[in-house]
Amino acid sequence: MKSKQLNIIEMFKKQPVWFILLSSTILFSVLSGDFLTIRNLSNIVLQSSILGIMAVGMTGLMISGYFDISVGSILALTAAVAVSITGYSIPLAIAATLLCGIILGVINGILVTKAKVNAFIVTLAAMVGVRGLVYVYTGEREIIGLATEFEYLAAGKVAFIPIPIIIWVITIVVAEWALRKTVYGRNAYAIGGDAEATKNAGVPIDKYILGFFMLNGFLVAIAGLVLASRLNAATPTLGIGQEMLVIISVVLGGTKLTGGYGNMIKTVAGVLTIGMIQNGLNILNVHHFYSMLIMGAIFIFVIFMDAKLSKVK
Amino acid sequence: MHAVSSNLFSFGKRQGLVLAFILLLAIISFFAPRFLTYRNIMLVLTQVAIMGVMACGLTLMLIGGNFDLSIGSQLSLSTVIVVSLHDKIGPLPAIAIALVVGCGIGAINGYLVGFQKLTSLIVTLGMLPVVQALTLIYSGGTYSQIANPEAPFSFIGRGFLWGIPMPFIIFAVTAIVFGVILQKTIFGRRLYAVGGNRVGSWFAGVRDDWVIFFTFVITGLTAAMGGIMMGSRLMSAQNYLGKDYELTVLSAVILGGTSLYGGSGGIFKTVIGVLILGFLANGFIHLGLPYYTQMLAQWVIIIAAVWLDVKGKKGES
Amino acid sequence: MKKWISIIITLFFALGIFSTTGMAAKKKMSDITIGITGFNWGVDSYQTTYEKAFVRHCKKRGVNCIKLDPKGDAALQANHVEDLIQKKVDVIIIWPVSGKGIIPAVRKANAANIPVLVTNSPIDPSGEPLTKGFCGPDNVLEGRYAGEMMAEAMKGKGKVVEIMGFPGYVTATERSQGFHDALKKFPGIEIIETQPGNWDRMKSQKVMENFLVKYGPEDFNGVYVADDNMGMGAVNALKAAGRIKDVIVTSACMFGEGYDAMGRGEIYGTVYQSPTSDGQIAVDTAIKVALGEDIPKKNFFETPKVTHRIVHLFIKPPF
Repeated sequence: MKSKQLNIIEMFKKQPVWFILLSSTILFSVLSGDFLTIRNLSNIVLQSSILGIMAVGMTGLMISGYFDISVGSILALTAAVAVSITGYSIPLAIAATLLCGIILGVINGILVTKAKVNAFIVTLAAMVGVRGLVYVYTGEREIIGLATEFEYLAAGKVAFIPIPIIIWVITIVVAEWALRKTVYGRNAYAIGGDAEATKNAGVPIDKYILGFFMLNGFLVAIAGLVLASRLNAATPTLGIGQEMLVIISVVLGGTKLTGGYGNMIKTVAGVLTIGMIQNGLNILNVHHFYSMLIMGAIFIFVIFMDAKLSKVK
Repeated sequence: MHAVSSNLFSFGKRQGLVLAFILLLAIISFFAPRFLTYRNIMLVLTQVAIMGVMACGLTLMLIGGNFDLSIGSQLSLSTVIVVSLHDKIGPLPAIAIALVVGCGIGAINGYLVGFQKLTSLIVTLGMLPVVQALTLIYSGGTYSQIANPEAPFSFIGRGFLWGIPMPFIIFAVTAIVFGVILQKTIFGRRLYAVGGNRVGSWFAGVRDDWVIFFTFVITGLTAAMGGIMMGSRLMSAQNYLGKDYELTVLSAVILGGTSLYGGSGGIFKTVIGVLILGFLANGFIHLGLPYYTQMLAQWVIIIAAVWLDVKGKKGES
Repeated sequence: MKKWISIIITLFFALGIFSTTGMAAKKKMSDITIGITGFNWGVDSYQTTYEKAFVRHCKKRGVNCIKLDPKGDAALQANHVEDLIQKKVDVIIIWPVSGKGIIPAVRKANAANIPVLVTNSPIDPSGEPLTKGFCGPDNVLEGRYAGEMMAEAMKGKGKVVEIMGFPGYVTATERSQGFHDALKKFPGIEIIETQPGNWDRMKSQKVMENFLVKYGPEDFNGVYVADDNMGMGAVNALKAAGRIKDVIVTSACMFGEGYDAMGRGEIYGTVYQSPTSDGQIAVDTAIKVALGEDIPKKNFFETPKVTHRIVHLFIKPPF
């Protein structure tokens, strides 16, 4: 019995984010009767699913030592592509959207690996440029989806579980399995840990990095489909600022930006923490200025605790 | 003869960024007659001044191996502070308070990164919403305004000294001072050492925690200076004026060739990066491009400029 | 016999009256909770003033209110509607970030039997049947007023540059559209270029400065700005270039500083849009909806034209 308790405390120490998640859940449930209901918790997970799917892609990229700050713009473009085609054919819309995400990911990946331009500049430029594409594609206006059936993707349920949550869970499971059990996953950690050594060991790191950028784009496209289905519309301003939120949730979970460390479970903790706290602050009707302050302060607190506690070892 | 021309050629290749800049100016002015006029050049130099001052601070930050993503919010805060206090306590005290607050926030960041050894990217990513929230709470969400638009305070943003716009003079002086600090002082040498190899320099006895602490105070200071210039140019303040500014400043610095990993870079190249972005934004309007075309062009041009720079450097080794 | 019948009939009616008033009187003000998801509360003074007026008016009328801030994110606003449904509010007021994208969320609210009211920015026409109604300004009309004032000041002949709001957001699109529509009637006036100012004074000042270099004095003599905040940026630039006297500035929404500028003759005309009215009408209409009363589908509040000649007749906006 005692060793079980110690293990939980150890887990909290290693990943302060779980501590925050648990304590905020308790706090909010105490302060408001509306918080700890099945409906509300289900809402939180559902609302976090778009961010969560994007975070899966970003986690994989970060483990290999890279990142992509154009994901907000890619989200907007993929959602716009989706919504514009669903009126004609939903399967075609899905295919086109996924292809769009893949292509954008590949563009970023090629520029990083072949042109050797650093990831920050490549994806920062893409953030601006893809947003321009969004304005062009949407004709500077909001587009509405013509197929009400398409809303089923975001609103529908299978065995009482909302479909976006199922999609999110599938991506987590597949990604985590790939990270732990396949050579691709092992190489991702290796490239993130020491790219030179891995290259010298004969691993084609450029192909891998390109692959991770492509997968990231693919996952953002999936998130774009869910978003498009949720709104059944797309506006040119979707996803602005989303890239920061994705990076924050991945880092909050414990994955390191420098690469070589992290996994999907950690990221889930980060995403849920953010969703939980945002929801709780809404339910408590906390003034939005203060909720912004609280979110930032929590973030700093978590990394502060993380650094402190990892020293204790 | 052969030696001279190949030397020039390799020199030219190393200056890939400057070449890209000149090429850009040439292409735009070909299509826009009023682009390379004295009046327009002076205008652009004024428009880039705020970004330029902050880019100087951020260059030091990056050389030391760190980031500061909170400078955009700090810009909003200092603009709001200086404008809202101007009519209440006078321009000089308002400026002083803005500078002190900027350094103070920089000190907090510096403490967390320099002494507590937290990762700068993440700390400042968290400080971004904190400082923005403080701005909103302080102003209560409202605008601030200086009652008299012709007050002496406006000289900082709108005045001219010997025919040169004041903001550009501030930018130029800052660039020169920071350039000297980097090249000629012990602090500068330590900064390069710390950025290049933090562990190694620690063993060499360099007190990197103080060095890093001061880089954050510096970025806080330059953000406050930017806010004072902004407040003077507008004679009013909004809460989100600095939104996304950190990205623009960061891209100017990186465009200029300062490495994301620390240990290398310089003020001169940063200034070129700032000028490229400034003339590009201005040039787009001269060309009459709609804003979405500007975004697409920016995508291509920025990557091309950095690629040219990288290729040039590769030719060296 | 007749007497008994008339007594019974009177009793019948009396009971009927009592039961209906009984149903209406059941809801006390303090039982009513209004939930509102705004646009981007801290971003500009108009919204801040709206918010303050909204809260003040809720207090005055004795109802509870929950305020949520989607920070300009359409997806977040959809989340908010779900959160408000979760809190079982009596009415949901939406200031749509995306008039089209909010429709599935409105459908969810309908399914939960919570009425929806739209404020300030319109919902897509296809979504209108799902809501109880709209209350707010008519942005297209405001743009049109600005265009008419420009034509009046230019006497039907001239060239205009336009600084619009944040592209992609409906307020910006509608105010621009209204302006263009109005000028269709005046073929002697040409709009030579449009660039976004993103509701940001610094951006709009830079755009204006660049216009002033690119175009000479003979190339344009008018500027249309989508609101006075951006307008002040344009005015700054015009003053610095010494062209404030010969360029006509019209705007689609008055701010406090614009009021002063108009007094100084720097701005020719603008449109008076009171966020206080905007917020109060939203509260009043929401209460009516919560009480089950019928309301008209469109409740525009008055947004009169104001030119520099009559500006002194208006009170300076507090924002």
